[in-house]
Parts: sequence; C-alpha cells; structure tokens
Amino acid sequence: MLRAVDLKAVRPYADHLDDGLVQLSFTLPVSYSLAARKAALELAAKMGFEEPEVVHYEQLTDGYTYFVMYGRCAQTIDFTTLQETGFDIEYLGEDEIERFAAEHVGRPIVVVGASTGSDTHSVGIDAMLNLKGYHGHHGLEGYRSFKTYNLGSQVPNGVLLAKAIEVGADAILVSQTVTQQNLHVHNLTELVEMVEAEGKRREMILACGGPRVTNELAKELGYDAGFSKGTYPNHLATFLVRELAARSSAPAPA
Amino acid sequence: MTQSLGELTTGARRVALVGLAKNTGKTVALNALLAELRAQGRRVGVTSVGRDGEERDAIDFRIAKPRIELAGESLVATTDLLMRTSGLPHETLERTGMRTPLGEVLIARLRGPGIVEVAGPSAAADVRAVADAMLAYGAEQILIDGAIDRRAASSPDVSDGLVMSTGAVLDRHIEEVVRRTAEAVELVRLPVADDEGEPLELAPRFALTAEGEQLAALLDAHPDARRLRVAGALPDRFLELLLNAAHRRRREFAVVVADPTKIFLSKRGPSWFRAQGIDIQTLRAIELKAITVNPVAPQSHQLDSARLRALLAETIRDVPILDVLHADYAASTALSGSRAP
Repeated sequence: MLRAVDLKAVRPYADHLDDGLVQLSFTLPVSYSLAARKAALELAAKMGFEEPEVVHYEQLTDGYTYFVMYGRCAQTIDFTTLQETGFDIEYLGEDEIERFAAEHVGRPIVVVGASTGSDTHSVGIDAMLNLKGYHGHHGLEGYRSFKTYNLGSQVPNGVLLAKAIEVGADAILVSQTVTQQNLHVHNLTELVEMVEAEGKRREMILACGGPRVTNELAKELGYDAGFSKGTYPNHLATFLVRELAARSSAPAPA
Repeated sequence: MTQSLGELTTGARRVALVGLAKNTGKTVALNALLAELRAQGRRVGVTSVGRDGEERDAIDFRIAKPRIELAGESLVATTDLLMRTSGLPHETLERTGMRTPLGEVLIARLRGPGIVEVAGPSAAADVRAVADAMLAYGAEQILIDGAIDRRAASSPDVSDGLVMSTGAVLDRHIEEVVRRTAEAVELVRLPVADDEGEPLELAPRFALTAEGEQLAALLDAHPDARRLRVAGALPDRFLELLLNAAHRRRREFAVVVADPTKIFLSKRGPSWFRAQGIDIQTLRAIELKAITVNPVAPQSHQLDSARLRALLAETIRDVPILDVLHADYAASTALSGSRAP
C-alpha cells in the first residue's frame, strides 16, 4: 500500500517517500585531495544538507576537483499554495489548433517576431516561427491558420512595432536572454511602452520568450505570456488561439 | 520640515508609483503611503501594472521583496489566483474580463487587514478603468504601483500624480545616479507646448521608421515648418536623424508629443537636444509629486542616503526628495518595516 503524499510538506524523493535525498554535483577550484573532499562535505553542510556524503570525486584538471554528493534535505515546501499558478495548461496538437482557429478565429492569425535590441540570439524565435521548427515540431509558419513574419535578430523595438502595426499583427513575439543586467529587461519593457504610446496595447497580444522568462516575470514586464525552455511551437499556438478566442468573445471594457 | 508622501499626494486621486529601474523602492514607497493613509483612516484602492508583494524577485531569487499589507475595507484590483492564494476574506465586487499571465483581474473589497500580492491589468487603459471602478466603489485614493521601469501608468491618461523612485541600483557612482535621475525628471517635466502656429502632423509611425532621406524630403517640402507633431511613440533614433537634417538646413524644430510617456530616450536627455536646436514639448504635463530614493542596491553596493538626497536636491528643484526608510523621514514613526540588507 503506497503512502499518500503530503502536499503541504513536499520534499525530495530518492529511495522512498520523504527520505529527502538530493544528489548534487559541483566543482571546487582546489587540488584533488582529502582536504578537497573535506571542503565539499563542509560546504554541503553549510548549504543545509543533513548527512552529506561524497559518493564520487575526481580531478578535472590541475587545481580543480569535481564532486558528486548525496545529502538529506530537511526543508519542505507547501505545494498546496502553489498548485494554481497556471502551469497545467493542456496544450492542443497541431490539428486541434487548426480546427480551433478555424472555428473560433476564422481568419489568419498574424504573428510578428524578433530578437530585439542587442540580442543576437534568434534561435528561440526561429524555433517558434520558422517552418523547420525544432525537435520535429514545425513552427507557426507551417500552420494554415497562422501568417508569420520573422524579422531576425538585433531588431530595434520601433522597427518591430512599426512592422507589427503595418501588417495588422494579432501578436508580437520577442525573444530576449534576460539577465540581471537592466539592459535586457529594459529592451523588453521599452517595447511594451512603445506599444502603449502607439495606442495599440489592447489590440495586440504580447508574448516574450527566453531561457529565464516565467509568467511572473512576463507580468512584471507587461506581457501577456512568457515562454521558457521546453516550449514547443504548439504551446505558443495554443495560447494564441485561445487568447484570441477569449478576446473576441469578451471584448475589453471601454 | 519634511512633508510626508501622503501630504504630498493628497491632491491626486490616482497616484502612479514609477521606478527608474527594478529595486529602486517602489513597493517600499507604496507601503509607506499605505501605512500613512491607514493611520488616517482613509480608504484606498490599490493595483499594480506588474506584480507586487511577491516574496522573491522574479529575476534574482536571492532578493527578498517587501510584502503589501492592506487595511480592512481596502479595495484591490488583482488576479483571481492571487486573491485566492492570499487566503484573505474578501468580497468580489467585479470580474473585469481582463486577462493576465497570472489570472483574470477582479476588483475586491477586503473584509479584514492582511497581506496580498497585487497584479492588476497590464494595459494602461485597463489600469485607468479599474482605478475609476475602485473610486466608484468608494475608494478615496488610488495607488497604482509600477513595475521595473515601466512608465505608462504615469501618463495623464491614467493617473493624476506621480511618485518617482530612484536609487543606488542605477549605478555604483552617486554622480551617475544623480545625472540619470535628473534626466528622468527633466523628461516628466518637459514644457507644455505653446500654441504658436499649426504643427506639421507626421504620418502614423513615421517617427518609428523614417530613414534620413524620407525625413529630408519631408522637411524640404515644408520649408516653414517649425513644429512637428508626433501622434505616437517618439524614439531617440528619430531625434538624432532630425538633428542631422536640421543642422544641415540651419533650422530648429520643436517636436510635440501627447505626454512624456511617449518619449524614448536612451543616450541623451531633453536638455542636450534643446541645446542642439531640437525642443521636445508635450501637450499634457505629468504632476511629479515626490521622488523617493533607495540608497541600497541589493546584492551589490550602498550609497549614503543623506548625501544622495542632497546631491539630487542641488540638481532637481521644486520636488521633495525622500528616503522613506530613513530616520529623518517625517512619517517614519508610522512605518513598521525596515530596510532589507
């Protein structure tokens, strides 16, 4: 008989429920030695792990030692307070998206995307928009219900916005590697502010993507959705068709 | 004698709190205002263009953020999800149909005091709509918290008064913090356009996309034009092109926008452009009520609060500059919080 999980006090699982065991690996910039092993144990203890144990360590190169450790995590998380944060969207498959769009939107959905500012990484945008897509999921370009414009990388916000207005975009998709540097964050907020300045904020869906973009960050930045690692084009498409359908059935108050 | 934030913002029914960057102390200023209004028994309505009162910073998880504590009977516009998570007893007055990444925005009245995460509508027009709804439901003053460096809520289309937050997070060097703050203040206090002559109305989005040749052709077609009216966003790229074209023709221009939130400058401030013969003007002004400073840059460095305020006051005239967590802030006795390390 399996024990029920206590969702108010969730902790890591290794061999059995609630054992709290965690595997961690890291490198220390010290020579391979017993002193290095001791340092790793003390560090894990400082991290708060109980019964830390070094299960493997080896020299990476002169003066660097790599460790694999186990430790017992005493902390727990109350999962019940986090459950409704909106991660559990059921994504539609490509055919379902086409059907849903035909039924609820009934016209091509126009999406304009770019990597903005000084960001040279267009991988994320290419994966979402281009026919080739990635991991066998082709991008929005390959959907009958979408019309896409990929402006590439290092696109100024003003140029992206002007293009979006010109082609009557339903959505703007920007990709940006968000770091703790204010510059990247500023690129993302500036686009939102420019859309406001042009008086188009209610007419356009704004989505941003990048390795560290969560829905919480998207909200702070002023976007309607944030997409991060693990997002496939059909996830983005699901959000867009549902959002458009919701907007057309419940127009925003005047 | 320092006036308190509450006194300074009394005349504004809808107050926008806008920061020049993340971690400049917007939410701390909001809490100071809330504490003061609570002590006076004034009923407030609160919303945020971003998300406020969260425990941890969305980018740097090491940074703990101030929570938002509301008095009983307060009105709040936040999402259904965050309202539920707060666990506070409340009455839902209105579901707005405004969707955000964190749920649908609703307007609620608290039945008792407590801590709530606030994430209101994202679009400026929707922020105005929920602010007016909360006034209609009996709030005496609306506080609109900003997010990161977003300014749209300070537009006169949305709010009646602005509290600007600045701080050490802008730069390690105090002079640079002062310079950038002064530039931001200059921007929100740009002169309101005079009525001399009909302006030349630029085509929609011309300022966003025009190349040098198009601009040159336009200026030559209107040899007497002195004022250019930009309906939407004014990026600095356009101002630089205009500067070039104007110099070659030995002409000077005024560029008129709806309000300061339509202007996007990165390298140079308005006074630099003015000295070069390009005068940026607005149709409507923003009422800057106060500036708050946060001398601490989380996980980084700290500046001296009194010195920062003194240097700012030398450059920026006629606006009170406050550090609401500093001992010499008039209302400090009413505040319970202290600065996070």
